[in-house]
Amino acid sequence: MALSDIVRHRSHLDRRFDRIRALEEAGQLTTPTGSRALRKFMNNRLAVFGLIVFSVIFLASVLAPLLTPWDPTRINLRAISQPPSWDHWLGTDKTGRDVFSRLLYGGRVSILVGLGSALASALIGVVIGCYMGYVGGWLDAIVMRISEAIMAFPEIILVLMLVSIVGQSLVNIMLIFILGGWCGIYRLVRAQMMSLREEEYVQALRTFGLGRGLITFKHILPNTLGPVMVNITLSTAAFILQEAGLSFLGLGVPLSIPTWGNILNVAQDLSVLQNNWWLWLPVGVVISLFVLSVNFIGDGLRDATDPTQQG
Amino acid sequence: MLTFIVRRLLIMVPMAIGISFVIYLALDLSPGDAVTRMLNPERTPDPARLEEMRRALGLDAPMPVRYWIWLTGVVRGDFGNTLTGGVPISRLLLDRLPATLELSVVALFLSSIVGVILGTISALRRGTATDSILTVGGMIGVSIPEFFFGLVAIVVFALHLQWLPVGGRLLPTYDSYWDHLPNIIMPALVLSIMMTAGVMRYARTAMLDALSREFIKTARAKGLPEWRVNLLHGFRSALTPVIVLIGFRLPILIGGSVIVEEVFQWPGLGSLFVQSVRNKDLPVVMTIALLTVILVLVVSLIIDILTALIDPRVRLGT
Repeated sequence: MALSDIVRHRSHLDRRFDRIRALEEAGQLTTPTGSRALRKFMNNRLAVFGLIVFSVIFLASVLAPLLTPWDPTRINLRAISQPPSWDHWLGTDKTGRDVFSRLLYGGRVSILVGLGSALASALIGVVIGCYMGYVGGWLDAIVMRISEAIMAFPEIILVLMLVSIVGQSLVNIMLIFILGGWCGIYRLVRAQMMSLREEEYVQALRTFGLGRGLITFKHILPNTLGPVMVNITLSTAAFILQEAGLSFLGLGVPLSIPTWGNILNVAQDLSVLQNNWWLWLPVGVVISLFVLSVNFIGDGLRDATDPTQQG
Repeated sequence: MLTFIVRRLLIMVPMAIGISFVIYLALDLSPGDAVTRMLNPERTPDPARLEEMRRALGLDAPMPVRYWIWLTGVVRGDFGNTLTGGVPISRLLLDRLPATLELSVVALFLSSIVGVILGTISALRRGTATDSILTVGGMIGVSIPEFFFGLVAIVVFALHLQWLPVGGRLLPTYDSYWDHLPNIIMPALVLSIMMTAGVMRYARTAMLDALSREFIKTARAKGLPEWRVNLLHGFRSALTPVIVLIGFRLPILIGGSVIVEEVFQWPGLGSLFVQSVRNKDLPVVMTIALLTVILVLVVSLIIDILTALIDPRVRLGT
């Protein structure tokens, strides 16, 4: 039997490859430019979807004063618990505050808490992790034990415990999140450091007489940035969920500051649940969408930067 | 094996003691002590009488001694009294424990079984629409806040359809234990959602890993039917890491049950914890936190030992 007689089933991949070949023959195929990771990220449909949703919610929160004329904290007793209307797009709450405006302004605080705490804990984790991973020694052992002790607490137990000691405020909540959040990135960076410091290129740098700081931060750190970025997105999502949960319980950011969780706080009341859907449904959907978009972005980043996660 | 266990204990016990010390410190530094709480706040107390009461209770001893007294009490199961009401904390915890155990066990079973099944399906149908739908579904599952999921469930199933009760556990009108079955459905399902998504992800990875091994090829080469290859050879070897990983879900289970219990008014340890944080009842808060940490540490030790026993590739040295 001649080789050409073998009939192979043609899949959709074959058809796609044919199209690429046709383009190539027509001379329309250009060599891709730019970062390979960025191209992989932009080819991931879910990640792009996440990026779009994230940007829309983020921009809407930042540009809140342009998008709504209402003050999120102004009480208007003549417009209590109104359903959505042309004036109040998402209705008003029990003290006549505009829910749409609270949603936008609340987004500012919630995103600040989530993204801010994630970035700050990443900064702390990276700095300590770089130093400890490269230098090691007894200090490293102590910090490692401390991080293990912190990570033994389920997050919400740790956070609520600290809230009951230091009290509720926006700054306290962020500090508590940072205290619980640096460990993950610290351990990640430390592990990467410990394996990378034995690489030949690092030994070469050391032979050239480069200082510790220069080697760790300029020559090793960039190689760990992929996993760190993934970790930042995932902890942003986790912090936003936690803030929402805490504020829903009335134990997070003080109720006077609008946040997504604080808006949902009223939903503990069954009559609100049954009769005033606009007070809790839109906010819950926005939180879920935002966290989902951040998770999609994190997954896309992981696929784009981690060579072991191909396909 | 014994040296391995001893070494792990040598790390774990000092850590537990360290955590307990920090927790005691926080308790000790909080304003007011047992004596000022016993007194009537309306009257200004006599300082000499205060001192006498402190001495009687052993509160005049230096801090390390007081810590030792507290620690020995904790080991014996005596955690002191609550600030609000002065009830022994141990009795309060025992009252609440069954509700939490019940909810956790049901949720753990549910999420493990559903998660493993979905993860296996996802791995077997790798790259197909089923796989994508399940993966995206899992992402959605971890992205919706648990309490919001609970609220939607309450509105749909309790308020509109009126199939299930809004919350609570054992109502006085119930004749038997089984009458409260409808009460547990919603909290258990909501608590399971997040964990199911996690277990599914693990199971998918473990199954894919198992399917890429040589013994799968051997099984196929022997001419076994595909379902036998997948289930008896692939699934069985994928199950071990998944079971181990389910053990590590414990912190998520505890954390999730705090919020879910509060949403559904489930009278367990989670809602006790939230209630105590609200009332600023530090002794209760700290006791629950301490016991949770010890539980997590013990479970992770047990899992490590089990992993070492099951999997010969795990090196005991490190």
